[in-house]
Amino acid sequence: MTAVSTPTLDAIDLSERAFWGAPPEQRHAVFDVLRRESPFAFFAEPVVPYIPVGPGYHAVTRYADVEAISCQPALFASGSGAVSIADMPPDLNEFYGSLISMDDPRHGKIRRIVAKAFTPRVLEKLVGNVQAVADDVVARARRTAADGDGSIDVVADLAAPIPLRVICDMMGIPESDRAMVLQQSTVILSGGDPELVEDEEFMVTAFLKAGELLAGLMARLAAERHAHPADDLTTALVTTEVDGERLTHQEIASFFILLLVAGNETTRNAISQGVLALSEHPAERDRWAADPGLTRTAVEEIVRWTSPITWMRRTATQDVELSGQHFPAGSKFLLFYGAANRDPAVFADPHRFDLSRDPNPHVGFGSRGPHFCLGAHLARREIGVAFRSFAVGLPDLEVTGPPARLQSSFVNGLKRLPARLTAVR
Amino acid sequence: MTRVVVDREVCMGAGVCEMEAPEVFELDADGVLQVRELVDLPAVETAVRACPTGALQLID
Repeated sequence: MTAVSTPTLDAIDLSERAFWGAPPEQRHAVFDVLRRESPFAFFAEPVVPYIPVGPGYHAVTRYADVEAISCQPALFASGSGAVSIADMPPDLNEFYGSLISMDDPRHGKIRRIVAKAFTPRVLEKLVGNVQAVADDVVARARRTAADGDGSIDVVADLAAPIPLRVICDMMGIPESDRAMVLQQSTVILSGGDPELVEDEEFMVTAFLKAGELLAGLMARLAAERHAHPADDLTTALVTTEVDGERLTHQEIASFFILLLVAGNETTRNAISQGVLALSEHPAERDRWAADPGLTRTAVEEIVRWTSPITWMRRTATQDVELSGQHFPAGSKFLLFYGAANRDPAVFADPHRFDLSRDPNPHVGFGSRGPHFCLGAHLARREIGVAFRSFAVGLPDLEVTGPPARLQSSFVNGLKRLPARLTAVR
Repeated sequence: MTRVVVDREVCMGAGVCEMEAPEVFELDADGVLQVRELVDLPAVETAVRACPTGALQLID
């Protein structure tokens, strides 16, 4: 691993876009400094065109503080926005945040509707489906490599199609709409990366357009499901009642977008960066290939290591105290999950990639609290199946160059990761 | 006798308990948590601790 110089506190600015495209070693060196020297470091907010700039935010980097904030949702609320640093206009906030940017009691009521579709036992039935998807993706990747010079893109050929097909199957999205779903969910979680949103000036417009396209798909499917209910999540969304009320059209559309976006972006980035981590740690890769029994802990370590969602925001509903420090009502906190996941107070040798790490109480799916990832079981299942399928079907997979990193503070993601299948001549 | 109490207002159906102790906990088709005989107490203790919403309590 390359040596990383220790950054000084004064030089750190988490609101700078370039920081988020830097290699993880550099970012973790910064988080190590923050965690040690300034665990509630304060930063000015990045400027988003056409959105008023807010008062700034505290970067929470210690595991214990992330946990303390997450498990007190009445003091640290999500309703004023959990997925953006700036307070977005309320309709935009609800539309793009859905459940994530909602507080109880409404959050709890709506969450229970979909929780039914994500229980371990329901997902158990999906295993065969996930396995079939992964096998097919592996076979296609080999064909792609064989048709060319052996090279593939880990993101486009392996990491993206598995969660895309699984979540679209669960939601009953027709084949012909799936390319659009992938493209638009990538825009929504681009964080304004210049490659994905060409002109930062029109970042908000780009998000709106992506949301509109997905909402249009939802409206079409909703009409179809009302007429012909199917055994899918979309039908559950359009037909369920909460306290005798149907969800509003807007709630359904935003939930639909959340499931598609969250179901795609997170798992894709865990898989692609898991492949990268394994290529950087060949002894671990070989150990897992030889021992399928390692899968349970290996999946957790990949989620800890990659922490695909970098942060969620909470806002103090009153004057609060954390680790002996006082913060006024309205203070914003970004919970940096990837930083908490490298906290030496909880993880021995935290910068070591150890597929047998156990226990591994990472907060890659969020910390304790009502917003704990709804799709955690699904993601675990997909990651486990994907990597076992790669070990069996793509033992000759070799990463050939550095990844193109997404320049987003919110999603720790890869746009591309060049690789080749060495058995292809 | 040791038993588990579920706070129904707080349970979000995350299913973490079921992952930890599948013989004891099961979210049924309506997403309601069912608790069976506590056959594997260490796993149950882990499940209670791991519940993301703190909905489970172990009572002696």
